[in-house]
Amino acid sequence: MGIKVVPRYGKSFKDKLYLPAIAGGMKTTFKHFIKNLKDIDNLKTMHYPEVQPDDLNERYRGVHRLTKHENGTEKCVACFMCATACPANCIFIEAEERFDGIDEKRPKEFKIDLLECVFCGYCVEACPCDAIRMDTGIFSFVASRREDFLLDKKALMANERSKDLNNG
Amino acid sequence: MSASTIILIVNIALAVVLAVALTPLFVWWERRISGFIQDRSGPNRCHIGPFRLGGIIQSFADMLKLVFKEDFTPSHIKYKFFFTIAPAIVFFCSFLTFAVIPFSDVLVIDGQKHIMQAIPNELGIMWFLAFAGLSVYGIILGGYSSGSKYGLLGSIRASAQVISYEAAMALAIISMLISYGSIHLTDIVNAQAGTYFGVIPMWGIFIQPLAAIIFIVCAFAEANRAPFDLAEGESELVAGYHTEYSAMKFGLFQVGEYSAMSASSAIIVTLFFGGYQLPWLDTQAIQSNINYIIVAIIILLPLKVYFLTKWMKKNNKAIGLDKSRQKETKILTIAFWSIAFFIVASLVAFLITGLGSNGVNIATAILQIGTFLVKFFMMAFVYIWVRWTVLRFRYDQLQMLGWKVLIPLALLNIVITAIFVVVRGN
Repeated sequence: MGIKVVPRYGKSFKDKLYLPAIAGGMKTTFKHFIKNLKDIDNLKTMHYPEVQPDDLNERYRGVHRLTKHENGTEKCVACFMCATACPANCIFIEAEERFDGIDEKRPKEFKIDLLECVFCGYCVEACPCDAIRMDTGIFSFVASRREDFLLDKKALMANERSKDLNNG
Repeated sequence: MSASTIILIVNIALAVVLAVALTPLFVWWERRISGFIQDRSGPNRCHIGPFRLGGIIQSFADMLKLVFKEDFTPSHIKYKFFFTIAPAIVFFCSFLTFAVIPFSDVLVIDGQKHIMQAIPNELGIMWFLAFAGLSVYGIILGGYSSGSKYGLLGSIRASAQVISYEAAMALAIISMLISYGSIHLTDIVNAQAGTYFGVIPMWGIFIQPLAAIIFIVCAFAEANRAPFDLAEGESELVAGYHTEYSAMKFGLFQVGEYSAMSASSAIIVTLFFGGYQLPWLDTQAIQSNINYIIVAIIILLPLKVYFLTKWMKKNNKAIGLDKSRQKETKILTIAFWSIAFFIVASLVAFLITGLGSNGVNIATAILQIGTFLVKFFMMAFVYIWVRWTVLRFRYDQLQMLGWKVLIPLALLNIVITAIFVVVRGN
């Protein structure tokens, strides 16, 4: 392994003058200022509420959704794996028997408390049926009352896969 | 009302506006310029109806907030009087510094001379040094009477900094005084008229570059701006001397800080950038060529408004479904064009009727005030620009720079200037 010699700065007369370095820095900042003043589209930030981020990827964990079979019924079999894996204990499932021949068991009610949820994605990992996913791309869930943050089965099944992601 | 009263009122109003009323504007500049330098937008949301004016409404909202906040005095403070008077001292000293800045050359109305300063005296640079030095007493008093270690440390730093930089600043000024031969700022500015070789304007920065650099650095330190804002180094001192202040007392410190910035950019412009002198045109030249200058303004003004409105249309566009910015652009475009047409029409009227000798003098004064304002705002921009470029000094580096570099350099500069003046026999 060779030795990398790091050059030391600050000993030469030019470095000790400070002024050339300050002028260089001011040149850089002025370039940025003029570039952004000329055309506001050069700014790296976006005007958030009007312009929404479009760079969500497959790994982004948004608000949960319950996936569905072809006929629109839930894939969930109420095995309680997600509720067991949940470190925040925010998943509340109430099971019932299922008679339509697809499965033997279904959740009568499936609730997630988003105020408790830490968006760790363990529920998605734990699910054996690919019934719960976090690919809705919803990153700002707002409500005015505590109760509204408790999503029930209907709300979770109404969520769809984000349109920004490819169909997979 | 006699002419002298009106001129006095105009001068005082100018000084008040430049020193105090520009604070919201500078706060807005600070935030938008820093935003653009760092590739972000800065405040641009606050609005009255469709008017955002690029976000300047935010400054007025902040000001209103400061005025209406509860004025809270912590219970541990022993000397409430000093605690209350400290921000007022900072504010008044920074504000009074402006009193000696000449806004234009001596205005002659009906054979009577008027000095265009808020307080027409000839103390000039001495007044500036006195009040610039005094304003730090407010900071010291504020930090000391706060009764908290952060406030005290901040004010100790401020006083040590002022002691070490005031000396270098005064020495730099002495070399300027040797070459100008007067302490009266109007004389100093008039000495900067004319050119070298017909090209380079005879400004202080070209006469004495070393003194200019020393003075500008010291003025930054004097105004407590970055990179010399150790007195409020927020990483180690919370907020320094104004830690315990709230509401409008804090607001007064803020206004004082910005009027110190205004005052020192005005004095830098006056001493080193030709003050109110239009480059290549001294007062006599303006007075004898006033008609050509008016024609030039008539041609240039619509061009400037055209480029301004084009820029506004390009950058103040609708975002998403919100169309209020387009509406604002339309209204402002109409407003700018009507102002431009009004000014052009009145200038054409002056050209046709002709200006009397008083009129020529007043027009010259207005032109010079305009020149001064342009230079002043450019210097204020430099202040903000430097703040968002240069890092804050470490305390020992600050003292090292003050005592070991700036003061010897300033002394050397005095010697060189004196030798030059003696040898040239002037």
